Parts: sequence; C-alpha cells; structure tokens
Amino acid sequence: MRDVFDKLEPEPRGIVVGLWVRRAILTLLGFLVLLAVLNRYGQHPSESVAQVPGATMRLSAPARIRGGLFFQSRVEIRAAQAIDHPRLVLDAGWLEGMQVNSIEPAPVGETTRGGRVVLSYDTLNPGDLLRVWFQFEVNPTNVGRRSYGIELDDAEQPVARIAPTITVLP
Amino acid sequence: MDLVFRTVYVFALVFVVTRAVGRRELSSMQPFDIILLVVIGDLVQQGVTQSDYSLTGATTVISTIGLLTVFTAWLSYRVRRLRPVLEGEPVVLVSDGRVLERNVQRERMTVEELEAEARLQQISSLDDVRFAVLETNGKISFASR
Repeated sequence: MRDVFDKLEPEPRGIVVGLWVRRAILTLLGFLVLLAVLNRYGQHPSESVAQVPGATMRLSAPARIRGGLFFQSRVEIRAAQAIDHPRLVLDAGWLEGMQVNSIEPAPVGETTRGGRVVLSYDTLNPGDLLRVWFQFEVNPTNVGRRSYGIELDDAEQPVARIAPTITVLP
Repeated sequence: MDLVFRTVYVFALVFVVTRAVGRRELSSMQPFDIILLVVIGDLVQQGVTQSDYSLTGATTVISTIGLLTVFTAWLSYRVRRLRPVLEGEPVVLVSDGRVLERNVQRERMTVEELEAEARLQQISSLDDVRFAVLETNGKISFASR
C-alpha cells in the first residue's frame, strides 16, 4: 500500500506563493502606517495666511480629517487699519456635515450671504487682534472634499480671503 | 500620527500587563476573567480610536497592531536573549513524581489544581509523572514515567 505521505510535496508551490503574498501584504500595511505617521490621514493642522494692507488673517485648520473626530480651526485677524464692521464669511465646507460644538468668542450677529454663513464681530482698531476658535466634530457620513474658504469683510467690502479645502476621509 | 502612537502604547501596555498577570491566569479563564477581558477591550478601543469612526482610522490601527505582532514574533525568533521576556520560559512543576513546590507557588497554583490537570490527561497520580511543565502558552504538558 502506498504511504499517505507520498502524496505530499515537501515544498508545494502554494506555500512559496503564499509566503510572498504575506510579505507583500505586510509591506502594504507598513506603507499605510508610514502614511499615518506622516500625517497623511489628517487632523494635523496647517496654517494659511492672507496679508493685505488693511489686515493679516491667519487660519489654522487641518486639511484632512476623519469621520467622528473632534477638531479645531482657529482664525486670527490682526488689524493694520480700522475695520468698523468685521465679518467672517465662511464657505459651505465649514458647516456641511459638521457638528459645531462652539465658536469662541461668539459673534454678535449671524446671517447668510449667497449661501455662506456670515459672523459679525465688534469693531477692530489698528493693532487689535481678533482670535476666534471653532470647535467641530465631523459627521461620519460627511465624506468628500469641500471648500474651507474664509473671507474677512468690512461690512460688505471684502478685505482678505483664504481659500483652502478640507477633505473628510471615509 | 497620534493614532499610530496610541496603538503602539496600548500594544506595549497590554503586552506588559499580560506578561505581569501570568500565563496561568490567562489560559484558564473563569467567567469573571472573560467579562474583564471584554471590558479591557472596550477601554482599549476608547483609548486608541477615541471618537474616530472612520475606516481610515480602523485600517491604520489594525495595520499597526498587525505589524507590531509580526515584529515581536520576529524579534523573539531572531534574538534568543529576548525570548524569555517576549514569550516566557517553560516552568517545570513536577520532576520524577516530585512536585516542585517553589515553582508551583510562583505560578500561584495549588497542588490540587495540578492534580486536576493531570486527571484531565488521564493520569491518576502525580507519582506516575516524569515531568509536568507549564508551557509558555499556559497549558501544562505531562510526560508519564
């Protein structure tokens, strides 16, 4: 009678192929983790600046975020000239699918202009600094890339604008 | 980035805790231990992913844990001196029918538990045992005379 072990190959092709497939998968996992370490999956804030004669506006906000995360955007406006009616005009990406936890300091007024949200603040004199913190939580179904632009207006007159985008990863 | 670091920290913490708790406790789970394990799993999830509901976050964490698991196994395979730290060492509990009390006590076992394990392996008396060894996976292997 033939030995049952005779049917077995010492090193079947499947084992060799499987080994290389496992190594390839581990390399892929390593690459994914490396991307995460390099902040490619978001939440690390980046800074954008708009400098015009009347004011300097800085926006610190992450360019990429993930569903469910809490994150912060911070806007700083340093007035070089008086801005009688400072207004922050936010693109739709600021609020589309975002839970607004808080905006500090709270604006004295809120309205809409052409589908964008407008936040009004008190007069800024030359040298004044207005710093506004926005705290958000990302709606997990809010996947995609949107405009995260912000405009500083003096009443209806645009003063400075920053136009980054924000990407919500699935 | 913080997701990867949190995963590495929790992996190391769980590793240290499981090594400190002892293999015997982990291999013989009572209902309380199983519930505790589920609770620990939940706490670990909160610490690692926090409020992250994304597939990206889940992929990152699972990839990191997978790589760390392979890395520790590779380290244990390649560096002999680290093997006792990473995997532990077998502990002899019975030698030529004689119970090594000191080793049994170190593993927080009683002779009755040892006898019960022997019975489960169809050994009627510890006198018939040439060697009983607590293996690194928490199981006890017996060699009869």
